Amino acid sequence: MKNTKLNMTSKMILALSMTGATLCAQFGPPPPPKATEKAEPSPGVDLSGYWTPPMHEDALERGGGSELGDFAGFALNEAGRLWALSYDPSRVTLKHHQCDAYVAPYQMRAIGNFRIWEERDPHNQTLTAVHIWAATTEGHRVIWMDGRPHPPAWAPHSFRGFSTGKWLGNALYIETTHLKQGWLRRNGTPESDQATVKEFIVLHGDHLTDTTVITDPVFLTEPEVRSNDYFRQPVDHHAWLYACDDGEQITGRAPDKVPNYLLGQQPYADEYAKRYKLPLIAGLGGAASMYPEFEARLRAPVTQAEFKSLLQADTTKPQQTSKAVDPEPKDGEIHILPIRNDVYMLMGDSGNITVQVGDEGALVIDTGAGKLADKVIAAIHQLSPMRKIQFIVNTSYRADHTGGNLKLGAAGADLSLPGSFFGLQSPAGATGQETDPTHHATLIAQNNVQIHMQDLKIAPEAIPADTFLDDRRRKFHNGDSMEMFWEPNAVTDGDSIVQLRRADVIATGDIFNTTQYPFIDLKNGGSVQGEIKALNDILNRTVYEHEEDGGTAIVPGHGYLCNEHEVLEYRDMMVIIRDRILDMIKRGKTLAEVQAFRPTADYDTRFGQNTGPWTTNLFVEAMYNDLKAAQK
Amino acid sequence: MKHFTKVACAGFIVLSACATASAQGRGGRGPAGPPPTAKASAPIDITGYWVSIVNEDWRYRMTVAPKGDVDGVPLNPAGKALADAWDPAKDEAAGLQCRAYGAAAIMRMPERLHITWQDDNTLKMEIDAGTQTRILPFNPTTNPGGDWQGASQAIWDRPKSRMAVGFFAPQGDWGGGLKVVTTKMKPGYLRRNGVPYSANAVLTEYFDRFDVPGGETLLVDSAEVDDPQNMISPFWTSTHYKKLADAKGWNPTPCSVK
Repeated sequence: MKNTKLNMTSKMILALSMTGATLCAQFGPPPPPKATEKAEPSPGVDLSGYWTPPMHEDALERGGGSELGDFAGFALNEAGRLWALSYDPSRVTLKHHQCDAYVAPYQMRAIGNFRIWEERDPHNQTLTAVHIWAATTEGHRVIWMDGRPHPPAWAPHSFRGFSTGKWLGNALYIETTHLKQGWLRRNGTPESDQATVKEFIVLHGDHLTDTTVITDPVFLTEPEVRSNDYFRQPVDHHAWLYACDDGEQITGRAPDKVPNYLLGQQPYADEYAKRYKLPLIAGLGGAASMYPEFEARLRAPVTQAEFKSLLQADTTKPQQTSKAVDPEPKDGEIHILPIRNDVYMLMGDSGNITVQVGDEGALVIDTGAGKLADKVIAAIHQLSPMRKIQFIVNTSYRADHTGGNLKLGAAGADLSLPGSFFGLQSPAGATGQETDPTHHATLIAQNNVQIHMQDLKIAPEAIPADTFLDDRRRKFHNGDSMEMFWEPNAVTDGDSIVQLRRADVIATGDIFNTTQYPFIDLKNGGSVQGEIKALNDILNRTVYEHEEDGGTAIVPGHGYLCNEHEVLEYRDMMVIIRDRILDMIKRGKTLAEVQAFRPTADYDTRFGQNTGPWTTNLFVEAMYNDLKAAQK
Repeated sequence: MKHFTKVACAGFIVLSACATASAQGRGGRGPAGPPPTAKASAPIDITGYWVSIVNEDWRYRMTVAPKGDVDGVPLNPAGKALADAWDPAKDEAAGLQCRAYGAAAIMRMPERLHITWQDDNTLKMEIDAGTQTRILPFNPTTNPGGDWQGASQAIWDRPKSRMAVGFFAPQGDWGGGLKVVTTKMKPGYLRRNGVPYSANAVLTEYFDRFDVPGGETLLVDSAEVDDPQNMISPFWTSTHYKKLADAKGWNPTPCSVK
């Protein structure tokens, strides 16, 4: 027992130190680096200075932008190709997309000037970091050179990702992880949040070359290699800022509209080939298009039918499943991720747990599956040694979010009640479900959560007794404003979004996650439109810090800590898949026909499952049944 | 007096360090014996078979772009006029099918390379596209040039100071790459659609080898074509290749204007 405690404490400290580096750019102050290996000495190469890409390669793509349907030379898999074909450039008119930054590998390819400088430890002058600042989107990359490890899988992602570097021969070698979803080309050629980059920067005279090797299990069949040139500028050209603020570009557009092309119906897919008198296959060849043998393929005839078959999923192939790294630790330990202002995310017991601590008792949003409840309690005690858990807030009735209610509730105490005039009217007295509140936390949720849990014969002490029926429940606690917003028909009929206003943290429950398609439970009140509305409601409460990075922290029901960008991509996905299925319903297609068409093919390598309680087929079935019912 | 002694000592140590570094530096002159050959002093090994990864300027490299499509190339009016006058049939009739296979352009072709040591001081680069061969000598060249591949001069390019003295001069082996300067090329095309370079063009290339941890081995050729006759500024590209285990796929083909 003693060893277990020590082990957990050390893991918690490690988690705090490991994640802090990434968080500092978005959610908190920078921690001191914790190097795990000896840092490489600085070589005789100094990359510092002002740099400009001549853009002699791919000038159109990097300048005005490339054509739709021009994905030549990209090793896109089926999902990547379909994602790109579905992309409508008008998507950047959506408010939350207007200030999307560039992901690191595209940043290095993009137009605009760069500045590189070194950061050295003021005391021993060792090289701590190499900074790269790109004028476009104010892309600030920090290449940590001090040997610190990469953050864990549950740490937040950013457009520039988390980079570490060392010297390999004459090259600065960089590894980048924790990237957000973005593009490799501005015509929608996608890069997923699972992409990683290995990169080499070399300097020959005043010619700097950056070679990036992008691995993306979601959208690419093999690594994408690109080499970018820069020439040294002798003087500062200024112009380092890229002011961006979003606003309404198309007024009156419904909030559930996301510009996209239906699978198989991309009207401009052949535009690139026609404009340049190329074979139809030119832009859609995938990895084969990168190698010399493709010249012969270009000379072989391509029928219109063959071409059209590339515009939709191959129905003869099996449904793909997620290639994403599991962001949830499965080591039997609870890991703590500091977010901001004494708010933490606890990972390890299935559903994510959010903990707010302060002068009053701890406020806990969701309690996980309960299998590690004792360790969750111990972790909360570490964060709040003097105050017990006062409130438990449930975003849902589901077991992976309420499983720890019984133990965490029993470990808490609502000290607002002793001596209170209303003591006798406490939830215990009112419902008879709760034990003495002075020896138990108060459990709060939307009323339907209580009803579902009662139906499931959950122990009364684990069922929220303090429930609400309105759209909003509020409480000022530990110096912050906590608000719960009921989403009446999202994944169930009892879901709530919980927002801590001062800390600027939103716990979404199962409305949003980074691990699977939303588990829309039609039998228990979930709906497609309700889910889209709920995701939009989250987006209506978020603010990014800089170019769609940082700002409001989003704790998903499952998965890594996010900001609005991941919610945005998830919302887009829901709308796009809805549009496809709705179109097929309107054309009289049966459920079997819709499933066979694979309308989620471009998202399956990120979220798809063929086994378990929530398969892709079940997701499509729920979408189909709900949308079809709404048509009647 | 004490301060002066410290300064003197420091100066002595620095000069000693410089002398030691100079003598021990890889590729530097030792106290005795002939200088090491280029092969022996190579900071990287670029021999073997390589295949080009064509994902940049794809349309210009994998296909023949339309006449006048010179996007990205900093041509001056004279160069643009030549590009606009491109006539592939005329080239073919004149036996000039290899104009896009000269040294300044051939590395951009979809192709395989076979790089070997011709001797201890000369690299040989065979290219299956157009069945061309580039000779890259490290010793001073006497090649008169005048053909598609011109006259090349190779040197190992290591990060180093321009002066052999200094306070606490950097020590250690920081690797390096291959620098090749090529001149005296027969006038050719930077791209297959007639974008010109002249006989006065100077091609400077930096070859680097990157062993991607857990991945492929890459060869990157960062090239600068300086041709004031046709361009307002040097034309820069970087072309990358993937290491192959063997000659599989090696497919020598004749030059073609199509």
